[in-house]
Parts: sequence; C-alpha cells; structure tokens
Amino acid sequence: MSAILFEAVAKSYRARPAIRDLTLEIADQSLTVFCGPPAAGKSVLFRLLVGLEQPDRGRILIDGRDIAADSAADRRIGYVPQSFALFPHMSVYANIAYPLRQQGVAAAEIDRRVGQAAEILRIKPLLQKKPSQLSGGEKQRAAIARGTLKDARIFILDDPLVGLDFKLRESLMEDLKDMRATLGATFLYATSDSLEALTMAEQLVVMDQGGVVEAGPVERLYHQPAMLRSAALIGFPRCNLIQGEVTRGVCQTPLGGFATGAPDGDVTAAIRPEHIVYAPQDVRALPGRVTLMENLGAECVVYAEYEGVAVVSVPESDRVANLDVGSAYPFLVDQAGIAIFDRQSGHRIGEAQHG
Amino acid sequence: MTTWRRHLYHLLLWLIALVFFAPVAWIILSSFKTANQILAVPPVWIFRPTLANYVRVLSDPGMVHSFINSIVLSVTSVLIAVAVAFLAAFSFSRFKPPGTNFLMFLLLSIRMLPGSAAILPVYLMYVGFGWKDSYWALILFYAMFSIPFSVWILKGFIDGVSPRFDETGRVNGASWLSIIAKLIFPQVLPGVIAALIFNFIFVWNEFLFDYIIGGPHTTNVPTALSTGLYSGGGVDWTFVSCVTTLYILPPIVIVYVFQRYLLVGMTFGTVRGEV
Repeated sequence: MSAILFEAVAKSYRARPAIRDLTLEIADQSLTVFCGPPAAGKSVLFRLLVGLEQPDRGRILIDGRDIAADSAADRRIGYVPQSFALFPHMSVYANIAYPLRQQGVAAAEIDRRVGQAAEILRIKPLLQKKPSQLSGGEKQRAAIARGTLKDARIFILDDPLVGLDFKLRESLMEDLKDMRATLGATFLYATSDSLEALTMAEQLVVMDQGGVVEAGPVERLYHQPAMLRSAALIGFPRCNLIQGEVTRGVCQTPLGGFATGAPDGDVTAAIRPEHIVYAPQDVRALPGRVTLMENLGAECVVYAEYEGVAVVSVPESDRVANLDVGSAYPFLVDQAGIAIFDRQSGHRIGEAQHG
Repeated sequence: MTTWRRHLYHLLLWLIALVFFAPVAWIILSSFKTANQILAVPPVWIFRPTLANYVRVLSDPGMVHSFINSIVLSVTSVLIAVAVAFLAAFSFSRFKPPGTNFLMFLLLSIRMLPGSAAILPVYLMYVGFGWKDSYWALILFYAMFSIPFSVWILKGFIDGVSPRFDETGRVNGASWLSIIAKLIFPQVLPGVIAALIFNFIFVWNEFLFDYIIGGPHTTNVPTALSTGLYSGGGVDWTFVSCVTTLYILPPIVIVYVFQRYLLVGMTFGTVRGEV
C-alpha cells in the first residue's frame, strides 16, 4: 500500500512553475531519497506535503485520503526544514521537546523521549545549552532530533546534511539510519548531493525542473536508468555522456562504434566512469591524454581527453600513480556499461550489444 | 607619545560631552538654589543646597496631578501602540499584503507633518467628537501617533527572524498567536524595548497636543510647566528647574537601564544574520 500519493500536483510562484503536474507514489515504510539539482522542486514538494503551501492543482493523498483540508498540524508529519530554525531563546532541550509539548505529551514522557533521541544523536551533554553555543553539526543534530521526535508516521528531512563537512555527514548519515530503524516510519529525504543520495536511498526519486525524471529502487536507477537526465544527475563522478549516431544497428561515437539494437537516429551514449577502463598494455586502447587528476585515496578520478571528447574514469590510485596532467592515458570502453538514449526525448532506447 | 595623544583625545571628548551636558547641569544645580542664587551674576558655584523648591512643587496638588497624568498617558499609550504595532509589523512582514511598501510609507507620513500642521485637523475632529480633555481620547491620539514609527522598527526586527521559525511552529500545531508570542516575540525583544523607549520619550515630552486637545484634567507636566512658567511678574526659575529635574529622572533611569537595547534599536534590527 502506498503511504503517499501525489496526483498531478502543480504549484507556481508568480507564474513561475515550481512543480509541474507531478505524479508519484511513495511506498509505506520506505526510505525515499529525492535527488536533483537545487531548485528542482524538492523543497516545494515537501512544503506541499507538510501543508506549508497549497498546490495550485492536483491532489495529495496520505493512506488514500485527500489531505487538502488538513492543516499542517493535522497531517502529523515530522519535518526537518532545510535551515535548522532552532529557536535561539530556548535551550536545546526545549527546542527538541517543542513538538511534544505542542502535542500535549506528559512531562515525564517528554523527558524520556528527548533523552532517547539525544542519546542516539549524541547530543545529551548539550541539552541545557542554547543553540548559539552549538557547532553547525550539533545544531543539525538538534534539528533532526526535534523533527523526528513527534508521533508521526511520515518524516521529512529536507537536505539535513547540507553544508556539513564530509566526516560529519558520514556520521550523521549513520545516525539517521539508526533513527529510522527505531522509528519504522516512512522517510522522505532530499539532497542535491548524488553521492549522499546513493548512500542513503532505498528508493530514489530523481527530480529536475519541477518534475520527476525517474523513480525506482536505487540500484536500478544507477545501473539501468530509463532517462538520460537521471543517468546524468545520479552518480559521482558524473556519467560520461557521448554524442553518437545509430545507423542500421551500429552506433558511431568518437569513442568508436558498437553494435546496438537501438533504432536509427541521433543518440547520447551514457557510460559510467567505472566503465572507462585504463588499459596501458592493450593495443586496442584509445590514446587519451590526462587533463586533470583528483586523488580520492583508493581511487583516483582521471579526467582525460580523446579527439576533443572529455572522459571521466576512476582507476585505482596505485595504477595511475606515475601519471600526471598531460600524460598519455590509453583506455578502453567496457561495452557492458553503455546505455543509449534518444537525444531528443531523453528516453533510453537500447544498449550496446556485446559478447 | 601615542598614549599621551590618546589621553588628550579623551580629554577633548569629555569636554565636548560636558558642553552638551551643561544646560542639564545648570537645571539640576538650579533646582537646589534660591531664586536669587539662580540669577546671580557671576553664577554661584558654591552654595548651600536647599530642598525648599522640591517641597513647594511636591506639595502642589496640581503639579502632582500633572506628574500622574504624564505617567498614565505615556505608559498606557506606548503599551497600546507597541502591542498594535507588533501585530501589524508581523502581518506586514509575513503576509506581505499587496502594496506593503506604500502602506508603510503612508503610515509614516503623519510623522512627516510638523505637529503644528497636524494639530489643526485633529483639533477640529476632537472638538467635533466632544473628546477634548479626555484621557482615552488623548491616549488614543498618542498611540496613533506612536504606531507608525513602532511598526517601522518592529518590521525591521521581525524581517530579521526567519519565517522557518513560524513554519516549525505551524507544522507542530501552534496557533498564530502562540507563534507570535512564544517564538517570534522573544527573539525581537530588543526591538520591542527600543520601540517602547523611543515612544515613551516622545509622549513623555509631548507638549503641543496635550496643550491643545487636552484640558484641565489631562494636563501633563510639559503643559503644566509652560503654563506655570510665569508667576509673580517674571519667570519662576526655581519652579522650572525643580520640575524639570524631577521630570527628566524617569527617562534617564530607563535609558540607562536599557541602553544596549536602544543601540540595537537604532539599527532597526536589519543587521541581524539569517539563522
């Protein structure tokens, strides 16, 4: 059963559409991550669901019931907004307890639950402090505790880790997963960071320009994207998008030709960086040249250039340790990883046939 | 060398400050002198202070009544004005009704008129309504006169408080009134205090309107001061200096206690950072 259903929802601000006829189903008890560039409409969609805004058209249903007439409070949704919005005049404890106090929960019960949430998020020693005495990561934890503490079946976290440094994000992501395991509710989570999306998600919704590009399990969206936009938006480093042309079962691209079942026409081939293989010994390798290298530790992101086409790959660091900008970078394209999209519509129309 | 120059600089600042303070000092010193000492040339610096002037003023029921009037008029009207202005400022800030900027300008326009111009239509109105010499009518006028400036100050402060706070309240079922009172008001308290003080000083020292649309019942101290200025064929200096000294005490104490809020108020709250 679906917990949340958006039916042809549209919302504009001063004639500028923010959400365009969006239809989407979210399964009960799922963890759905909304990923897309800034201003894709993620926050607006959440604000519509929470009840801070009304849609211009369309319906939003929770458990099969239209919630248009319900006030934000009646919808009983836990919400962590993009900015922390911790009340500066209240202690951290009072901030976290605020939703429960509003719901009229007994003081002893509030105390127990605030303590429990503070335990999970490791902010127990900070409860008597004021928000201004907290660091960015601690504020974020307090905001997450406040947003996830109330009696709700749906929790919305709008880019809660934005602006945090890498280590903090990682530990907070762990905390969030713990919270979710304890709460057993439907979680909606927005981020503009595709790596964060891949780490967090079970279900992934790729959004762009106020609409859903594609939704589904995260593995399928990564490995078998049905839309060019989702291939482009998901994954780090970014997917290689190579222009090509299909004529009678052969796709010609600057990186060579390969057989395909796709119909004739202008296409874009999407190749994940891991399918660009560094092959210094192979005689069939294409002679690329390194333009930029970013060492991530175990792996290295190599930006190379071949015949005016930029390609990104992620070889193991020790294999490319002796390379530098300007070095020769012979590479092969793993044909198992090529997806072909119609350039006009952006729909997937086939893949490279190999073997 | 540099410390020496700094000392000199500070000395200069002190001298300038003392020049500004001189009239106030003259008034305060005079209140403890006899009439002859006040008018003596050259001025008497060393004298035996007398409390006779204070005894005379404080045993004058009319004068005591004026003091009470001043307190009642200024405190009541300022509280009403700031309460109304706070709600108005919140609405302007959050709901941004069409024409907000123009409305805000219109609000302030009454303060752009010189009081002596505004008094004419107000006088005719008050006489027409039969409101002359009425406490409530005068409080109403002072509140009306104080609201525009308060709305301006408070809107600046409330604009500085992110609407995300309101939204957090709304999502958790807080009413607008609860959001305003519990979430927004504590955050703009410095602005509220600044508005209270600015308006208090204005109403406290207001003379013209009290003189024209007030009456024997509602005489405040500035009006009493000016009507009691001449007695016995000349200016009654001991009366003036004594009443004035008593009268500047409350504003001085209030400003001293809340001076840090006043400084914040001067910036209209617009320098606050986003949360």
